[in-house]
Amino acid sequence: MSLITRDTLMAFVDGQLDPAQIPAVQAYLAANPDAAAELALMQRQTQALQSLFDPVAAEPVPARLRARRIAAEQIQHRGRTWRWAAAAVVLLALGLGAGWFARPVFDAPSASATLIADAVNAHTVFVAENRHAVEVGGDDSAHLSSWLSNRLDTNLGMPDLSAQGFVLVGGRLLPGEPELGGRAAQLMYENTSQQRITVYVTAALPDRQQVTQLASVDNTEAFYWANARITCTVVGTLPVDQMQAVSQAVYVQLTEGDISAARYRS
Amino acid sequence: MSDFLDQVETCVPALRRYARALTRNADLADDLVQDCLERAISRRGLFRPTGPVRAWLFTVLLNLHRNQLRQAQRRGQPVDFDRVPEPSTPAPQPGHIALAETARAIDTLPLEQKEALLLIALEGLPYAEAAAILKIPLGTLMSRLGRARHALRLATGTPAEPHLRTVK
Repeated sequence: MSLITRDTLMAFVDGQLDPAQIPAVQAYLAANPDAAAELALMQRQTQALQSLFDPVAAEPVPARLRARRIAAEQIQHRGRTWRWAAAAVVLLALGLGAGWFARPVFDAPSASATLIADAVNAHTVFVAENRHAVEVGGDDSAHLSSWLSNRLDTNLGMPDLSAQGFVLVGGRLLPGEPELGGRAAQLMYENTSQQRITVYVTAALPDRQQVTQLASVDNTEAFYWANARITCTVVGTLPVDQMQAVSQAVYVQLTEGDISAARYRS
Repeated sequence: MSDFLDQVETCVPALRRYARALTRNADLADDLVQDCLERAISRRGLFRPTGPVRAWLFTVLLNLHRNQLRQAQRRGQPVDFDRVPEPSTPAPQPGHIALAETARAIDTLPLEQKEALLLIALEGLPYAEAAAILKIPLGTLMSRLGRARHALRLATGTPAEPHLRTVK
């Protein structure tokens, strides 16, 4: 009976004993009441544990412990991670693309703003000159007109502003914005009180839109318009009402041909 | 793969029971099982399909439980057993060891003995499988079981007449 050890008894209690050994254990227990009592106690320990915790296994499994649900959530989560990554890439690409295509909007101010700024700048530079205010004098206005018309590739007459008290001092050819024709003509007029205004003319913009705009920069008034043939900016430091009168005269004279041309064309 | 999930699903009630016995707290136990399932399912690629899923799940659960206890110790937040609700105690019956007493006695066991005893006595796992789960030799498992049962016997009453003990 020395074969019956504590481990053998435990295996008997746990139902893991080799069936061939069971009769030997039963005989041993019959002969040893102490061992039988110990074994009974072990059985009751097991029963107690099972009574305590077996009900847990019989409880309905909470949803959060469902294997399929957990697996589905993990797949979803992985999918979400992918979707977020993909969305981030797409947004980045969209942002870069939009930024690239929007460059002209952000980089360059509008054509009218550029031309007005150029006109004001040219005005400021050349009205301060006395001997070199103009390249070709107003006394040769026919030559001035044909020269500038050729250079700008448009018909440019010299507006007569004598009704407003201004005489033509002359004009010059200026470099312009490369993408806006590259050339500009500046005509300078002066009244008896030595006040000067300039008229800054370029060929028509690519869009040929009809635009009118007023701007005021550091006490300098600029009246800008564009049509299908030219852009023109009248710049001066006269009071606003005088500037308006002069600009109106320039506008009427420089667009007269366009109106009649339009009339003929239709 | 769905076969794997089916096998996992089958083990969940046993895992919950085992975790409840280990932690003696329903919420902690289910949290533990959830962690275990999430880890096992997310790493099912690492699982060798030849072994039993059940043993693997119990191994994962035990590792998580040990880590939690270690972290709790490191943080200095001992589990307050007084706040753990006791299972309801039925009226003592002759021949039955008082359940509440057994429950308390289990809490006093060293972790390694508790893990082993619950795998065998509660879960009814084969010795070999339990030894594999605990990563110990069979002999070590048997000696842990023997010590655990001895300690329980001391904690719950005299071996001679356990059925005569009553609980106030």
